[in-house]
Amino acid sequence: MSAEEDKKEILSPMMDSGVHAGFPSPAQDYINSFIDLNKELVRHPAATFFARVVGDSMVDADVNEGDVLVVDKSIEPKEGDMAVCFIDGEFALKFISFKDPSGDGPSVKASRPGVSYSILERQRMWLLPANEKYPPIEVTDSNDFTVWGVVTYVIKKVCTR
Amino acid sequence: MYALVDCNNFFVSCERAFQPELEGRPVVVLSNNDGCVVARSNESKAMGIKMGTPFFKVRYLVEQGRLVARSSNYTLYGDLSSRVMSILAEAAPRLEVYSIDEAYMDMDGVAADRVPGICSDLIKKIRRWTGIPVSIGIADTKTLAKVANHFAKKYKGYKGVCVIDSDDKIRKALALTPIAEVWGIGRRGAPRLEAAGVKTALDFIGRPVEWVRGMMGIGGIRTWGELQGRRMVEDERDEKRKSICTSRSFDMTLTDLDEITLRVSDFAGKCAEKLRDDGTAAYSVAVFLQTNRFRDDLPQYFPDAAIRLDVPANSTREVVAAALRALRMIFRSGYEYKKAGVVVYDIVDCDAIQASLFDFDQETRDRDDRISKVMDLVNTSGKNVLRLATQRPGHYSDGIRREFCSRLYTTSWSDLLEVK
Repeated sequence: MSAEEDKKEILSPMMDSGVHAGFPSPAQDYINSFIDLNKELVRHPAATFFARVVGDSMVDADVNEGDVLVVDKSIEPKEGDMAVCFIDGEFALKFISFKDPSGDGPSVKASRPGVSYSILERQRMWLLPANEKYPPIEVTDSNDFTVWGVVTYVIKKVCTR
Repeated sequence: MYALVDCNNFFVSCERAFQPELEGRPVVVLSNNDGCVVARSNESKAMGIKMGTPFFKVRYLVEQGRLVARSSNYTLYGDLSSRVMSILAEAAPRLEVYSIDEAYMDMDGVAADRVPGICSDLIKKIRRWTGIPVSIGIADTKTLAKVANHFAKKYKGYKGVCVIDSDDKIRKALALTPIAEVWGIGRRGAPRLEAAGVKTALDFIGRPVEWVRGMMGIGGIRTWGELQGRRMVEDERDEKRKSICTSRSFDMTLTDLDEITLRVSDFAGKCAEKLRDDGTAAYSVAVFLQTNRFRDDLPQYFPDAAIRLDVPANSTREVVAAALRALRMIFRSGYEYKKAGVVVYDIVDCDAIQASLFDFDQETRDRDDRISKVMDLVNTSGKNVLRLATQRPGHYSDGIRREFCSRLYTTSWSDLLEVK
């Protein structure tokens, strides 16, 4: 226990080895050669969350119960995106659509006296399941609704052992 | 310029990020053991529920369905905090994380007229990316930025960003700021000043400097100058250590976990002592082990592991317990270890830790402080006469009441958000 050893204080050795990754180990130089799934699947770490699928509303899109969803909240939802939606107190996994699924209805909301919509708010929006058991839902002003995040990857376990 | 970013009702906002149905409803978050209220939504504040209210007093409201209570879920709050901070770190030339839900962005080098716009964009981005609402106060000094932040929170018209950037605005803002709300004075310092006729921050800066010195000493002069837009509170963290490492090579190689446990306990104890010397506490405790790399005839192993604590710690007991948890994660038998070390990092000032955080399980914390002080005293001779009997980790978290705890949405595979 020499006094010199005692005084060894490294200034911030953590910075270049990433968040919570500990501190540089002698093996650090070799670590870059790994394929890091986090880097590949998570483009915006601060905005990315994982979720688990429950139920069968997306089976026709090959998304099944137990699958893990990579959800990126930073992405603006667009036509055809699979998204985790929050509607009237529940999370629901749906495709986002701005086109009337029944065919040729108007794609903007009927104007109501005294209500002014921005262009985005005038757009009608539907939530489409991928299972004919469930009907499409049109989101209206009476729904408590947000797109919680856009699904970027679905992780599926295929080996059941 | 400084921009103080403060998360609105942070713990409640974290709960709402994963349970949007709680938006608009009165919510409280409870301390460890579900003892008392430590965070409130605006709606529960409006119901008259005070900070620190013992939970049993408002439990009937929960049973009647008029109030939602959540046990504290620090793991979740810590994760969301680091997400918010990482977004801020990208936007600011320099970021000083002040507590779990507050950070100062040092905007020097950015044109002053661009700062409010950058801040407005950040508010939207943080809300969108993490679900957390934040408010930002902008001014030339930290103390004024704190005042500005208060206005940004209080008045909806600011849309989350309040700038105090002229003498006129300073005077107007200070006239509306009760002296007890000023950073550095607070409820403890206020009564004496109020008795002397200083009711608002504006009254305070109207007093001559000699009067302030006589009343409050040097600390008071700092606050007095800062409120007038003169920078006097420097970044104290710059002078303090950002991480502390205690490591040592062993006299001979060790193979036995018990032997290494003893050494690592000592190193961790040393780190805790240094934290207390600095008046700081650490969020993270890491341990590393090394075999002898010059003996290529022997199997080599250089593992490390880090434990992230819910609440920053500087007591010997907590730092040692965390280090031993990390040690158990990495120790493998069959190797001859030559060196071990403990690093504590993510260091914050003790006074930056929210009072509410330190209230949790205050009794245990006080006891820890007393034990640590005695140990410091006895150990000043340089020899570690007193050390903790090594304890099983988890011993202290067992048996804690968490009746209303939400899931570990971001840190546990079995707790992920479920989507139908």
